Amino acid sequence: MFARLSRGRKVLLGALGALTAGGAGVVTALHVSVSADEFVHPPPLKWSHNGLFSALDHKSIRRGYQVYRQVCSTCHSMKYLAFRNLIGVTHTEEEAKAIAEEYMFMDGPDEEGNMFERPGKLSDYFPRPYENDEQARAANAGSLPPDLSYIALARHGGEDYIFALMTGYCDPPAGIDIRDELYYNPYFPGAAIGMAPPLYNEILEYEDGTPATLGQLAKDVSVFLRWASEPEHDQRKRMGMKMLMIFTLLIGASYYMKRHKWSVMKSRKIAYRPPN
Amino acid sequence: MSFTQTIYNTVFRRTSSYALAIVVGAVFFERFFDQLGDGLFDYMNKGMQSHMQATCSKQWKDLKQDLALRQSSDEDE
Amino acid sequence: MIAASRLGVSLPHVSATSQIVASQLRPAVISLSSASKDVIPERHEFWHTQQSLSASAPKSCFLRATSAVHGPSQVRYAHTDITVPDFTEYRRETTAAANRSAEAGSVDRRAFTYMLVGGGAVAGAYSAKSLVTDFVSTMAASADVLAMAKIEIKLSDIPEGKNMTFKWRGKPLFVRHRTAEEIEEVAAVDVNSLRHPEHDSERVKVPEWLVLIGVCTHLGCVPIANAGEFGGYFCPCHGSHYDASGRIRKGPAPLNLEVPEYEFTSDDLMIVG
Repeated sequence: MFARLSRGRKVLLGALGALTAGGAGVVTALHVSVSADEFVHPPPLKWSHNGLFSALDHKSIRRGYQVYRQVCSTCHSMKYLAFRNLIGVTHTEEEAKAIAEEYMFMDGPDEEGNMFERPGKLSDYFPRPYENDEQARAANAGSLPPDLSYIALARHGGEDYIFALMTGYCDPPAGIDIRDELYYNPYFPGAAIGMAPPLYNEILEYEDGTPATLGQLAKDVSVFLRWASEPEHDQRKRMGMKMLMIFTLLIGASYYMKRHKWSVMKSRKIAYRPPN
Repeated sequence: MSFTQTIYNTVFRRTSSYALAIVVGAVFFERFFDQLGDGLFDYMNKGMQSHMQATCSKQWKDLKQDLALRQSSDEDE
Repeated sequence: MIAASRLGVSLPHVSATSQIVASQLRPAVISLSSASKDVIPERHEFWHTQQSLSASAPKSCFLRATSAVHGPSQVRYAHTDITVPDFTEYRRETTAAANRSAEAGSVDRRAFTYMLVGGGAVAGAYSAKSLVTDFVSTMAASADVLAMAKIEIKLSDIPEGKNMTFKWRGKPLFVRHRTAEEIEEVAAVDVNSLRHPEHDSERVKVPEWLVLIGVCTHLGCVPIANAGEFGGYFCPCHGSHYDASGRIRKGPAPLNLEVPEYEFTSDDLMIVG
């Protein structure tokens, strides 16, 4: 097909291709130079949900919820997540209800106009550790623990970043001074992070008996936060797969129909004989 | 009369029967295709073999089975 | 006359140049012979040979004549200057053979095309349906609204003879644990004597539990429980009296208190909504 093109067309196409490649190169270079900073980029990890059609590991999400509940939630809120969101993902309805009832929520006003406390319901959102941002800052030496509801979407690298951050604490290299209330973590932008190393080996005991190593804890909480950011993840991939399947069929059918309708046009010979 | 001829005369010849066949076919195709797609997705997400867990699947329904098993074994103890 | 003279004045050459052309048609005289002799039309024997066909073709263009004993005789253009494209890509295998009738397999070919197009239509209908249902379902109530639309009520929290008020969909919800006397009393009322005739059994699922939306049907005040002349509810705004089944008995309200949808999921749990 390419051989049939005229010389001018070939040159044009070649120039267009070179221009596209060059432009993409420039954009990539600019992108890299913009995001370059004094911190280490998280290495991409082999998550079990990396594939085009790979679902999240729900057992890992359940363990990750346990890590969040027992460790992270002392400082970090997840205010866009409700207890009902756990149903059908990590917990059964009874379990979710039991979890919700462990917390007291302010409700009201009642008949006398007073606010009152009641145990949580499924429709309640995850309780917040601090009343407001100011209180959170005051309790954490000026650092604000971010809300974790959409953190995997809000940070470059997503769950890779979270895993790297959880496991990346180390002593600062020579020549870098870290203030007393800060910690050195090369994966954190700026490398000085206000959060103390949150996870250790055996910091909690998993209910399903998985050994709670630092790597396991970090992996589970990363998967949990990915799910929280993207609750539609599994459904999205399932639909994507079906979409590709049905469009394969449709493309085949429409190609046949096109050829069928065009065959009259395509197999017609028109000869023009100029009058002598 | 061959099979093709029969099908052609009964279904394809009239637009009404052809359209009806398409609608009826779509109903069955939906069931078939959804089951096929879901089955394929479940098959692809069976997860890796692991010595630590009784079942090695990734999705919620597998976790639910696990939880039910765990609960019943707790009640036995 | 005037027109004729004008015509003659303005266009004298019309008549001057006109010429008479003799009719080429001969009168059609059909001679019917009355004789009984059979009329045998004259046969023009004409042999289609390649030579004769070629000889009859005009010399100015490239024509080629072919004839065959078991086949058609034809005269065709012999295009030496135009290359005929190869159309085999657009021909089906069954029609490729020149010595077979294309009609023989036509049903098979058409059936195949109809089947493929029909299959495409089925797949298209499936995707159209999925698309429409997905878009329409975005208009349905979202999960957080649905989660708030139901309220669970623990029945053991409500002692006998007491009315509890809950907040449900922005309205007060009355749940009343009725005593045996109250049940007996409201069941005994003659339905025909009521303004809004409804028997108590139509308004409750379990006689002990009365569930009402606590909005007076008159002008929307919230009635007071365990008050009024009939021992049920009393609206302080305009003095409507309701009995222990929430039915209007006295006062301006036109209808009984509304009963929402509810169900008992277990002995101790009721879900309203």
